[in-house]
Formats: sequence, C-alpha cells, structure tokens
Amino acid sequence: MEPADDIHLDDDAALELPAEPMRLNMGPSHPAMHGTIRMVLDLDGETVQNVDVQPGYLHRGFEKSCERGTWAQVFPYTDRLNYVSPMCNNVGYALAVEKLLGIEVPVRAQYYRVMLAEIARICDHFTCNGAAAMELGAFTPFLWILKVREWLWHILEAETGARMTHSFARIGGMAAEPTPGFKAAIRARIPEVRKVIAETETMLAKNRIFLDRTQGVGVLTKARAIELGCTGVIGRAAGIPYDVRKDHPYLVYGDLDFEVPVGQDGDNWDRFTCRFEEVQQSLRILEQCLDKMPDEGPVSVSDPRITLPLKSDVYSTIEGTIAHFKLIMEGLKPPKGEVYSFTEAGNGELGFFIVSDGSGTPYRIRVRPPCWFNLQAVREMVMGDMIADIIPTFGSINMIGGECDR
Amino acid sequence: MSTFTLNGQKVPFEAGETIMQAAWRSGIEIPHYCWHPGLSVAANCRMCLVHIESGRQMAMPIVKWDEKKQAYVPDTKPKLTPACQQTAADGMVVSSESAEVKQAQASVQEFLLLNHPVDCPICDQAGECKLQDYYYEHQSTMKRKRTEPVHKPKGVRFGPTIVYDAERCIMCTRCIRVCNELVGDPVLDMRERGNRNEITLAQGRELDHRYTLMTEHVCPVGALTSSDFRFKARVWFLKSQEGVCSGCATGCNTHVDFDPRYGKVYRLRPRDNMDVNKFWMCDDGMMTYRRQSEDRVLTPSLGRGDARLPAFGDEPFQHAARRLGSVTSDKIGVVLSAQHSNEDNYALAQLAKKLGTTKLYLAGLDAAREGWVQDAILRSADPNPNTAGARFAAGGALDETIEDLLQDVLGGEVEAVIALGAASLETLAELEPLTKLDAVISLTSHVGALPAVASVVLPVASVFETHGTFVNQKGMHQAFRRAVSSQAGVEPGWKTVAKLAEAMGHDLMLGGLQDIRSKLVVTTSAGATALGAEARA
Repeated sequence: MEPADDIHLDDDAALELPAEPMRLNMGPSHPAMHGTIRMVLDLDGETVQNVDVQPGYLHRGFEKSCERGTWAQVFPYTDRLNYVSPMCNNVGYALAVEKLLGIEVPVRAQYYRVMLAEIARICDHFTCNGAAAMELGAFTPFLWILKVREWLWHILEAETGARMTHSFARIGGMAAEPTPGFKAAIRARIPEVRKVIAETETMLAKNRIFLDRTQGVGVLTKARAIELGCTGVIGRAAGIPYDVRKDHPYLVYGDLDFEVPVGQDGDNWDRFTCRFEEVQQSLRILEQCLDKMPDEGPVSVSDPRITLPLKSDVYSTIEGTIAHFKLIMEGLKPPKGEVYSFTEAGNGELGFFIVSDGSGTPYRIRVRPPCWFNLQAVREMVMGDMIADIIPTFGSINMIGGECDR
Repeated sequence: MSTFTLNGQKVPFEAGETIMQAAWRSGIEIPHYCWHPGLSVAANCRMCLVHIESGRQMAMPIVKWDEKKQAYVPDTKPKLTPACQQTAADGMVVSSESAEVKQAQASVQEFLLLNHPVDCPICDQAGECKLQDYYYEHQSTMKRKRTEPVHKPKGVRFGPTIVYDAERCIMCTRCIRVCNELVGDPVLDMRERGNRNEITLAQGRELDHRYTLMTEHVCPVGALTSSDFRFKARVWFLKSQEGVCSGCATGCNTHVDFDPRYGKVYRLRPRDNMDVNKFWMCDDGMMTYRRQSEDRVLTPSLGRGDARLPAFGDEPFQHAARRLGSVTSDKIGVVLSAQHSNEDNYALAQLAKKLGTTKLYLAGLDAAREGWVQDAILRSADPNPNTAGARFAAGGALDETIEDLLQDVLGGEVEAVIALGAASLETLAELEPLTKLDAVISLTSHVGALPAVASVVLPVASVFETHGTFVNQKGMHQAFRRAVSSQAGVEPGWKTVAKLAEAMGHDLMLGGLQDIRSKLVVTTSAGATALGAEARA
C-alpha cells in the first residue's frame, strides 16, 4: 500500500477528481416534475451541462378525443387542459365555436365569463407562486395561498357545481345564471385576498434565501422569448408586453381598466412578482365587473339551434323536445369553415384552431397550449445553473401536463 | 334545355316539369312534406312555398310596421307558390330562401307542430323525422300556443303490418296516394276537417294489400309505423349498406339497416333505382331481412337424421372429399342455386368442370308452392333472385331441375351430389331417393329439404353477410354488399366451394371477388350488357 503522505493536501489540483459528466434522470415520476415531465440531465458536479426536456408522458389524446363527440361535448376535455384554471379554457373554447357560428353572447354572460375566468386566473397564479415558495422551503406562504384558493374554489363551486372540472361554459352562453350570492361573495373576499398577497410578499420579498434562489436564476431574454413563442407571464416577465386581453380584447375586456405588468430580467423573481401583480390586476377587473355586470338578463343566446331548451319545455312541448333531441343526438351544426380563436389563459395565449365540416362533430380541433411553447424555454433557462435551481425555474414555468401533452 | 334560376343557381328543366321536380333532379332540396317524386302532386303541406320573383305581388295590400315612422304603413307582399305544383317556365327567378319564404316555412312548421304530441322519445321515426329536421332548419322558435293540444286516436291498427297514430299525422296524404296510385287499392282516405283530420280505412277493409309497408316508408313523420320494426331499434344506432332484395327476380335495390354493435339486420328500405324498382318494394321483399336470423345453418354437420353430429375445422371438408372420392367423378351431380349469387354459382360450376361432370342442375323456389303471387307492379313471376345468374354461371342454358336429378339418381347416372343452397321445390318425401346416396354434400345458409337429406352439411354466408351480384329478370347485374359479419367459421359460398375443392385436390384458381367478377363478365354475354346499370335515382 502506498504511504498516505503521497497526497499533498496543499495542492488544489490534486483534489480535483477527473470526472465524466454524470447523466441523471429527473422524472417523469419526481415530486418536483409537475405534470409528469422527464429531464435527462448531464451534470458536471452539480452544474447542469445539458438537459433534455421530455414531455409526453400523459398521453392525453385531447385533440383526437374531440373528433368523436358533439361540439358541446368538448367542454369536459377543455377542463382538463390547464386544470388549475379550467374556466379560462372553457371560455376560450366557447369563444372559438361562437366565432365560427358568428354569434355573440349576451352582455351579462360576457361579464360572467370574464369574472369566472379572472377568478380562475388568480387561482392559477396563486398555485404557481405558492408552490414556488414551498419548493424553496417556505411552507407557510404556501398554506396561506392555498387558503385563498380554497375561498375562490368555494365561489367557483357555488357557481358551477364543481371545484375544478367545471364544464360550465356553453356554446352561446353559460350553463346557468350567476347565483344570487355571487357578487357578495366576491366583494367579501377581494380585500382578504389583497391582505394575503401583502402578507406573503413580506414573508418572501425580503427573504435572503428566496431572493438568492430566484433573482438571476432561470433567465430568459426577451429576444429568445419572442423566438420561442413564449406568451403569458413567461413572456411578460422577459419584457414582452403582450396580453391577449389587452392586445386583442375579447368579451368585455376592452371596456375594463387594467395594466399589463412587464418584467425586465426574465428570471424567476420577475415571473414571481409578475404573477402577484397580475393577481392584483385581476382583482381590479373583478371589482369593475361587480359594478358593471347586469343583475338581470339572459346568460345565453336564445336560438334553440344553439342553446339547449329549458327542461320544462323539453318535457311539455314538442318544440323543446325536438330542439333537445337535435342538440343532444346530432349536436349543433356550425357552418363549414375554420377559425383560430385565442384568449389569455393562465399561462398565456390559449388558441383553438377549429375546422368544421358542417356536421355536428368537430372535424379537427387543434389547441395552441401556452405551456407547450413556454416549456421549450426551460432548457435554456436551466443550462449552467445548479441542479437545485431546476426546481424553482421549472416551477415558475407553471407547466401543466394536461395542457402541454397532446 | 330551358332553365330557371333557383336561389341564384341555374336549374335545367324539361317542358311540363314542376319547379320541385327539376330542383330534385338537380339535387337541390326544397323543403317539402307531401310531395314525393313517385306520387302525384297534392300541394297540401305548404312547406315548399317559394317566391317567384318574376311573378306578381299579392293583389290585396297589407300594412307593415315601420320602425322609423313608428307607425303601420301600407305595403304589398309577394304571392308565394307551392314549388311542387308550379310548372317551371323559362327564365323564371325563384327563391326558396328569401325572407318571405323563410317566414312562410317557419310558420308552416310551427302550424304542423301546433298539436303534435311530445312523442319523440317513444316514436320510431325520431332520428329520421322530417318534423325534427325541418324544425331545426326552418323554425327554431319555442311553442307559443298555451292551450291543450287536440287529442286524436293513437296506436290504431290499420292492418297486420301498420299501426297509425293520428296525433303525429300531418295529413300529407302520401299514404293515401301510395294506395291509390302505386297499388290501385284505395283502402285509405281522410276524414273530418281542420285539426280533427285523420287518416281512415275504407269501411270493412284493412290495410292488407301487398305494398302496405310503402305507406310507412313514405310517411314523413311517425304517424304510420311498421308493427314489425316498432320499438325494435333506434335509428341513430343503425348503419346502412347497399343491398339487393332476394325475394324475387325483380331484384329491388335496398338499404340494409343493421346495428353494427350486434351485427343484427333490423329492416330493409327501398333504394331508389329508376330502372328497377323506382322508389318501392313489396311487403314480402321488405320482410326478407328476417332470413338473416331465421332458420340458419351455422355449424357443419355429418350424418343423417338422428345420427347427424356437428363437425369442426377441416374435418367436414375432408369427410366430404372422402365420400365424393369413392364415386367416379363424372357421376357427381352438381346443383346450382337460383337463390345464391353469381360468384357462388360460378365457383361451383368451376368445380363441376374440374371434376369433369356434366350433370348440372338448378334448384330454386317455386312460386306456386311458396304461395308467391306475381303482379304488374314489382313482383316477378320467379321468386328466385338469381335464376338468370345461375344459368349464366353454368355457361348458358340450364334447364335441368331437381326432378331431373332425382331421375338420374334413380337411373344410376348420379351417385353423389353437391348442392348449393337450401331452396328447392321438392318436399322431404320427394327427395327421398337422395337419402340412398352415400355422398350428398349441401352448402347452405339455411335449413331446408335439400340440407335435410344431405350426408354432409357445410354452412355458407347469407346474402347479408357477403358481397355478391344477382342478375335480375331484365338481365341486369346488380351488386350487393356485406352488411354484417358472418359467424366465425362461416364463409361466403364461393370460398366454401373453393375449400371443398381443395380438400378434393383441385385448385379452382378463383382469386378474389374481383377476379371472379371479371371472369363472369366474359362468360355471361347477356348479363354483361346490363352491368353497371345500377343507376341511382
């Protein structure tokens, strides 16, 4: 055996072990790989040399599934796209088919849709930021934030009957009127939500650990964000002031006063703060809607070729029975043609490209899921960072498997 | 050819044609209930009202609400005309989509639904009902009438085949006209007036002629329903395949409606073919769909009488081949079938050629024995769909019948038999000489006298389970297509023949269905001329 004193402890080079890069599989079954993503990492020590991001483990079959039911039967599938903010997807799809039909829903339904979608957006952003804090060790804000989400989900549940998978929008309107307590419930919660944001920000915004883990980590430049087609918070945090609600207003967004927060550095911190600021803006939108939404009036167009008749009519009149029969058995029949319709969902531009052959069944529904484009940026974001930085960076993308996977 | 303009589109017409006829021939549908291309014009439903823009306005002025003046102002409105009754004229400008016409269509539709019962969930017509289709396309308003609808008789038995529901009836009189014009038996008529209107039977009569199901077929709503199909299936679960009726030598074109989930045939409907059956079929033909599930032979069997046992796999073919092998092959009698397709018969005729036997016979049903009655409308004298085709397959004339076969058996000229099909004129007792033979091979889809006396029975697919062609009495080759799958192990006749031939050491070189058909065209001169005359109206 060689004598131990052959190792010269004062020589740094002698401690540097010659090492091959280590290949490590992170996911698909990993608690931080939300939505079942696999990352194949090449590590030099703890530094990420290369990463191969592999989605596709959810096997959704969303688009193909849409091609066998009626147009109305697509709604439950849209719930399961970005399932953290299903109302946004519901509304997005309904608007797409309505564009094809050339109809506009009544004003009350437009406000109702905006409000439900904004509540969903708040839930979406909160969930993402809460999880980001938790994954960096700050468990308390996570619980506070989930408390808020629970309040909001109670409102959504009271309105739609379901906490997550609402299937509440309809082509030509909404499934039901707002409940009598809808506005009061939101009014009561808005100040409380603001309070929680303030509390959470005091916990995190001056927290050295949180700042070190987020600032300057996971940077995406504006130029690359544009090239990759990033939208939503990812794009805005990188400096692209693009928000579909502002740039291509739909529903009543054109009449509402709100700002589009934009970041500078495109790092995790900007994405975190952007999300909270957008929640503030959503609250503003909600406040305006509370004042503007009419308390009376229909929430669906009155054309029986589009909207299901009342059950009482179905059971007592032949017109109602036939309308019901036609819409259920054959589905409403949009004219032949194709449209692209896009809305601002939780993660950015959610587009539906739909093709109709004039029948009661969609010929083709192509979804532009914002996550899919945002996910492409992850590789560049984490290259050169430490392996531990993958967790907050990937978290800040808010990749939702149900939406990303085809 | 003269033309008129319909909704901005030029439509050619022949002198004397109505707007509706010309549009229908050009494939443009003007909404209608009472008009039927095969019946006279009644013009009573008013659904086909069109605006003849080159025509005149109504003489009587009307008042119209003027939004700007906030007052009623005098106006005129166009005289709408039923397209089914108006003779087309050169240069006429017609619209079936103008605002006035749309309003008329919506009003007529609302009127027809005024007293209509809420029956869709229990109505057989639901899913193929014109009231439903036109409501969706032309009305789409909710009910305005708030009073109780007029109630009328429901579930009235019109005869052995038809049940009538007066509440659903829109009084288009198509059923009456079918009886009067197609059948020449005026057994139906209308009684009462206004919303008490109903279809009624002639006194002391039942709806019992040979075309009763055509009244149900033309009924645009669920007023007339077939007691056979009633409550059996929901039409949106059914798929349809093109068929040819096997009821007689007319070869009416059919839609075979079947449920793909269970592979079950539920009904036949006439398929329009102006050269063969126009729009119609007879009741017996409509009912031939039952043959798909009744009296079927589904497993091979060996032996006779009580000693008959089922057999599986290649065994029955080997057994048949052994039995046939013990006979001099030119003493094998081969029986073709007027009930089977050209393809099946061709394959068997090829086998006969390979065996070197000239003892060919033709079996089929006999009109007198079956109680089959010919008429001047559709029903042919010959209750077999393919007598001509079987003869062609045999190479021309084939007049030898089973009677001749029995003679030959008794005379010792035939010592073994290969028979296609279940159909024969003879009874079991008459076929008794065949039971003396050791090798009587029956290839059949159904039970019958011939299979009963056979020593080996090989099942084959029915007409609903296979593609094929029939040659009708006019010499027209008409193809039918497979609707449902046959049970595992049951193959089309021509494939079964080929398998039997293989067991006997012969290769018939049949190839696929296309190969057989191409050879058939060459060998059947009379039929070849009519091939492809499957013009669809």
